[in-house]
Amino acid sequence: MSKITTSDFQKGKFIEFKNEPCQIVEYQFVNPGKGSAFVRTKLKNLKSGRVQEFTYKSGEVVEEIPVSAKEMQFLYKQNEELIFMDPRTFEQVSLPLSYIGSFSKFIKEGDIYQVLVYDGQALGMRYPQKVRLKIIEADEGAKGDTVMGAKKIVTLETNVKVAVPLFVKQGETIIVDSDTGEYVGRESQKNY
Amino acid sequence: MDRVKLRYMKNWQKLKNNPKLWEKIFVREKIIQSIREFFFIEKFHEVETPLLVPAVIPESYLEIFETYLIDRKNKKHKMFLTASPESSIKKLLAVGIGNCFEITKSFRNNETDSDFHNPEFTILEWYRTNATYENLMDDCEKLLLHISNKLINNNNQNKIVYQNKLIDFSSPWERISIKEAFKKYANIDFNDCITRNKNPFNSEKISVIAKKKGYVIEKNNTWEQVFNQIFLNEVEPHLGISGKPIIIFDYPRPMAALAKIKTDNPIFAERFEFYIGGLELGDGYSELTSLKEQKERFNSEMKLIKNQNKIKIKKDLDFLNALKSGLPKCAGIAVGIDRLVMLFSNSKTIREILPFPLEVS
Repeated sequence: MSKITTSDFQKGKFIEFKNEPCQIVEYQFVNPGKGSAFVRTKLKNLKSGRVQEFTYKSGEVVEEIPVSAKEMQFLYKQNEELIFMDPRTFEQVSLPLSYIGSFSKFIKEGDIYQVLVYDGQALGMRYPQKVRLKIIEADEGAKGDTVMGAKKIVTLETNVKVAVPLFVKQGETIIVDSDTGEYVGRESQKNY
Repeated sequence: MDRVKLRYMKNWQKLKNNPKLWEKIFVREKIIQSIREFFFIEKFHEVETPLLVPAVIPESYLEIFETYLIDRKNKKHKMFLTASPESSIKKLLAVGIGNCFEITKSFRNNETDSDFHNPEFTILEWYRTNATYENLMDDCEKLLLHISNKLINNNNQNKIVYQNKLIDFSSPWERISIKEAFKKYANIDFNDCITRNKNPFNSEKISVIAKKKGYVIEKNNTWEQVFNQIFLNEVEPHLGISGKPIIIFDYPRPMAALAKIKTDNPIFAERFEFYIGGLELGDGYSELTSLKEQKERFNSEMKLIKNQNKIKIKKDLDFLNALKSGLPKCAGIAVGIDRLVMLFSNSKTIREILPFPLEVS
């Protein structure tokens, strides 16, 4: 643990709040009328997954949890836990599914991810902005939905459904924005 | 200087490709037009006061912008940008302007990284002579109704939707005192927060209460910091959730440096704020007119500024002259026009409504 002040706050940083590990989701400064400066935060409790608001005095000291990013392979899901393995040491860690929010739709068995670890425990992971996933189901005859601008819905290998242009075919690997869940483009065949 | 780069976010460029954004920009001119109309009907004078001044009112919670004036002999004179037009308007009041208002720019340093503050912002102030803060509360209700009636073109002119909340401007608004709000929402009896001696706002007692609630309190934290941390965490989130604007009044003295002390309870001052849809929109008070009291507060604020290592200001002694010559009994209020624009354009952040927001990257 190391002490930081509110001026070191950054989105994504891990801090301790009421003895629980939390991640800073959002923060901003506020000055109440005729008052000194404060920092309003949204903190995600890593254990419960709940997001709560707390307002710090500007300059208040908090404990930062010094996490390190470790490259680990995602093995499988088991009882709402994600099991990762360090491919060098074969050491395994588990990460509750609730910690990763909507990224759970895109996480793929066998792929390497950066897992954030502190004191032997996984606290979170870094999410790649773009994920490459194979289409396992696509209706080739789809006429497209004109409201959506000639798009069809396909199912990817992690079972998530995404809207893609009509020319994209089953078996192809596509790139999806993991933030918005939107189709970005097709993986070029030459990469294989 | 830090190596942080300042930039104007390129909001103005977005206007070309997204004509819908103009709507947010044009809300401002409609609001300002209706404010002028309101005060014209109320027979107020509109005044204009300087933004660049040689001395300011010491207010320890603010950080000021300082600059230099260079005269013809190339001599530098320290100058400041005003954090509000208050001191100049009060000088005009002292010499007899009577009821008046101003719409102007104000500058507050150290207020980046926020959805609700821009270092340069637009402020409306108005002053009523022979009036108290209660008259201003009524003004606020009437003004907001006037604006909504001008801006909203449907049958529900008293109602708008702000951030998925239905707001109803019609009178009467909710009103609650700080003392009641602390009891109701934070379960704190105000009498337990103050010390019964010469210095009632010594932070000792309130710190004990805050620590019990789990706040981290340091020895150097002021009474105001502890109070406001409880207020922001436990009271403010409840204000105005019914959709009615809410007036919260009678602030403790440390948060009312220019307000008149209540005669029946000197712990509090005649100051109020109003909130709509979670936005803090205005801050008004019965003005302090006692020269002796104002001098004392000048000195204690100067001390706090020094202790906090804030920018060294020059105190506006000319303002004390205004009080000396006799400031009439009056009440004045500041309302953030940018936040009114946010409210009436249903915008979550101040950046959305400014073509040139100032941001640190």
